[in-house]
Amino acid sequence: MSGPNHGSNHSGDYEERLAAFVGVEVVPPKPGQDPVNVPMIRHWVEAMGDQNPIYLDAEAARATGRDGIVAPASMVQAWTMRGYAATAAGPAPVNPGRGPGMAELIALLDEGGYTSVVATDSEFEFHRELVVGDHVSAREVVESISPEKTTALGVGRFVTTMRTYTDAGGEVVAVQRWRTLRFRPKPKTEPQPEAAQEPEPKAPRPRPAINRDNEFWFAAARDHRLVIQRCASCQVLRHPPGPCCAHCGSFDWDTVEASGRGHVYSFVVNHHPRHPAFEYPLIVAVVELAEGTRLITNLVGVTPEEVEIGMPVVLDWLDADPDLSLPVFRLREGSN
Amino acid sequence: MTVPAAPDPWVVGPVTRTDFVRYQGASGDMNPIHHDEEFARAAGFPTPFSVGMWQASLLGTYATNWLGAENVRNFRIRFLEQVWPGDVLTCGGEVVREYDHEGERRVDIELTCRRQTGGKAVTAWSTFVLPGAQPDGEADGA
Repeated sequence: MSGPNHGSNHSGDYEERLAAFVGVEVVPPKPGQDPVNVPMIRHWVEAMGDQNPIYLDAEAARATGRDGIVAPASMVQAWTMRGYAATAAGPAPVNPGRGPGMAELIALLDEGGYTSVVATDSEFEFHRELVVGDHVSAREVVESISPEKTTALGVGRFVTTMRTYTDAGGEVVAVQRWRTLRFRPKPKTEPQPEAAQEPEPKAPRPRPAINRDNEFWFAAARDHRLVIQRCASCQVLRHPPGPCCAHCGSFDWDTVEASGRGHVYSFVVNHHPRHPAFEYPLIVAVVELAEGTRLITNLVGVTPEEVEIGMPVVLDWLDADPDLSLPVFRLREGSN
Repeated sequence: MTVPAAPDPWVVGPVTRTDFVRYQGASGDMNPIHHDEEFARAAGFPTPFSVGMWQASLLGTYATNWLGAENVRNFRIRFLEQVWPGDVLTCGGEVVREYDHEGERRVDIELTCRRQTGGKAVTAWSTFVLPGAQPDGEADGA
């Protein structure tokens, strides 16, 4: 395996340090930079394509029975965002006289390798409409931090917090349960312009069904040895592996190592359905070995148009992944 | 009283980086992953992607246009697929349940923001009150 190993960070100690954040108020109540105001609402409703006049036109708002302009409910979070200047300045400093806060939690997640983040859920409860002049504060408490999960984006942890939005009088105007996935980004898979890299398989090759009767064959394959089962009583070779000789009925067997030479007995070209583990067009062949047994395999280094029945082939090995090597065959050079 | 019919699906896009940036400016969320190409790639993404709260709030716009901004009681969002530059989004919704709650007539709706691939970018669930509708004494469906 390559890449940094973060395994040591998942010790009980790391889990305990994460767990210590649960229930902690990581963002203390902090008033937003500006009270609810029309210019910010205007930017918001333009971004939202929201043409409801109650957000910009006091007359229209009063015509609905309101006292004046109101802010869109979904905007509540915006009133408490710290803005670009603070973001550019870096993580918020430790709060003097307080315990660890959000900056420390994020640092701890970074330490565990969870350096990327995506939001997964948001649950708002709205208690009242915000009006121009409201000054909104938000506090944030960690509700839970999940064990490490494997997701499509990578391994990570779901961090759930509860944000409480209050007005200048301390009354709750909205609450928001907020869940993000903090994850370890997968290695880059973007195509390189140089085209120098091997195309990465998109999915692992399907696992063979291994049992006590055939495990020897796949174990030998992992060592790049193509073996053929041989009846210990009548010496007849057989493939695929099985417990009993079809010729004499004996259960005694050993193996011989194949020469790796053979010819194409038959083949098909698989176009559909496509499995993400395979390269297409996929040539599936029955190769008859020089020893006389046949096996189902793939032909590599050859196009479907070039394949002919009877074509001499030679063994090669496909190392699909660390746990799976399989025999494949390529054209035997100089034999025609 | 029955719930007003859902508006026609609302198509937004193809969405652009400018849409993302405009939302970021409006919301104060300046996370560079939504506009900085190099930053996004370093984080393992092919390009910047949209702010989830933007497409979620598009559903909010659709819902409040449908049932009235003053009537929304909650809004629950599940972010599913990321939204990428060039995506065309379609916002729509349907009624899930109509019921009485604490003397109010309420309706639960489910909203979906789909990408042009058919994949769901956001699903949201929201509860609105139905103004002027008297509770009809039906048992709460819960």
